[in-house]
Amino acid sequence: MRLKHSLFTRRQFLNGLLGGWLGGLAGLFLYPVLKFIFPPEREPEQVLLPLADYGSLEVGAIKNFAWGRKPGMLKKTAKGELLAFVGVCTHLDCNVAYLPEQKKFFCACHEGWYDEDGVNIGGPPPKPLRRLVVTTEGENLVIKPGGAA
Amino acid sequence: MNIKGAARATWTWLDDRLGVQAVMDFLKHKPIPRNRHTLWMYTGSLILVFFGIQVLTGIMLAFYYRPTLEEANKSIGEIMTKVPLGWIIRSVHSWSATFMIAIVFIHLLSIWVLKSYRKPREMTWMSGVLLLVFTLALGFTGYLLPWDALSLAATKVGTDIPRSIPFIGAWGTKFLRGGEDISGDTLSRFFSFHVSVLPLCLLAVLAFHVYLIQKLGMSLPVDADEEAEARRAIPFWPNFVYREAIVWLVFVGVLVTFAVFLPPTLGKAADLMAPAPAGIKPEWYFLFLFQMLKIFPAKILFITGDTVAVLLILLAAALIFFLPLIDNRPAGRKGKIITACAFLLVVYAVAMSVWSLQTPSTPEVDKIIAAPQNIKESTAIYVFLGGIWLSVAVLTYLLRLKIKETDRLLEVGYFSSDKR
Repeated sequence: MRLKHSLFTRRQFLNGLLGGWLGGLAGLFLYPVLKFIFPPEREPEQVLLPLADYGSLEVGAIKNFAWGRKPGMLKKTAKGELLAFVGVCTHLDCNVAYLPEQKKFFCACHEGWYDEDGVNIGGPPPKPLRRLVVTTEGENLVIKPGGAA
Repeated sequence: MNIKGAARATWTWLDDRLGVQAVMDFLKHKPIPRNRHTLWMYTGSLILVFFGIQVLTGIMLAFYYRPTLEEANKSIGEIMTKVPLGWIIRSVHSWSATFMIAIVFIHLLSIWVLKSYRKPREMTWMSGVLLLVFTLALGFTGYLLPWDALSLAATKVGTDIPRSIPFIGAWGTKFLRGGEDISGDTLSRFFSFHVSVLPLCLLAVLAFHVYLIQKLGMSLPVDADEEAEARRAIPFWPNFVYREAIVWLVFVGVLVTFAVFLPPTLGKAADLMAPAPAGIKPEWYFLFLFQMLKIFPAKILFITGDTVAVLLILLAAALIFFLPLIDNRPAGRKGKIITACAFLLVVYAVAMSVWSLQTPSTPEVDKIIAAPQNIKESTAIYVFLGGIWLSVAVLTYLLRLKIKETDRLLEVGYFSSDKR
């Protein structure tokens, strides 16, 4: 049955409404499923490192800590400042190594190089290593995500 | 070429290779009898719906579940508290299992009482009993996976049952447990059974079961007038599918509602050395067997009570499996004794289950109770539930219009004149 001047029949209209609403219901179910499958990645709000273990770092030396599921690297600069990096290459997510004799960070996956301040100087890495903010609070060093990478 | 033309060309391309049209033609001519017993014919596809939900939610849970002694309980706890909406997914999986098993029982009883297993449908019945066994086994293996005190105790009892069978029983217990006692190996084994072995077995037998149903067609009640039934029958596609769709939608709505408001809890991780908690009970569908094992005396004549009980259960299972060969009368004959047996079995199972519930169980302390994590999540869940029920209502209305339309088309002979 088709009304005068109507572009589609009653049956097409009903089929469209039924199919569309079924699709909508499927979408409604898809949302929680996707929510479940992709859990939010929780980065630690802060990591506490006991000053007793980490404070006595020698100049130029590196000490590793766990930044969530990623390696964190604590380094003392020549000025005696403490720097913290996320030890993950900015190219394709490999973990980097610190080579003390060359004073460079090296990523073995695609031969990426960073200088001792974590700045990318060679190979494919597009950005410097991510810096974390280090402060001292009582007995602990407090590592927090930095404002700018 | 416009979109419609392209769609038609794609369809033709696929149909030339897959033969979908032949299947659709078959379903268009598969008659579904319309009489006072048609209601029971909705149970079969409803079981499939719940099985589908089990597969989907099961795959999702397996993304986060870790089947090891140290991690099993912890990972379920994380699913319930950390993973977004994880507690609902687990709750849907648990409730869908209950719904599936309940409807499997109803499906079986309806076919038993209506005598639909008679010639030529004997093997449909037998494959159905196998499906029941696999379904119960899935329930049993799944019950251990959360690895709390209750699930450990239930599995200890359950895997010890084969030992009562003379000669081969001890071997069966060892096979199920992966050793003399329950250990981490039992957990890995049950996980493997639950997510791989049993679903594959079930799917294989299910394919056979569904094939037979298509080949043999729907059965008619014992006193049916075949000509009148043929005149009244409706085709499976589309008339019956639209009717079934309403049932599926309503049950999915009920399932999600149950899952949101009554989520299962999780006890502390099982301790293999701890005594069984007081008043333990298995899942509801094993209660009658559980009570039976409990009331049998230690010795009957010179045999242990367990052995007698287990042999009786096996005998009953065998009788049910071979029912079509025991009652092999022609399809037209009534079978009052057979019907009475079904009712007796139901009364027995219900009575035993109620009896077993008389033992009070101590509520477990320190268990994880699932709940929305914050106000945002609980609001979203209520909006979601509202959306589902609104959709169920609207879709039911639309499907009723489609039913009216297709029934009218059937009446005027639109389907019978179409090209074969």
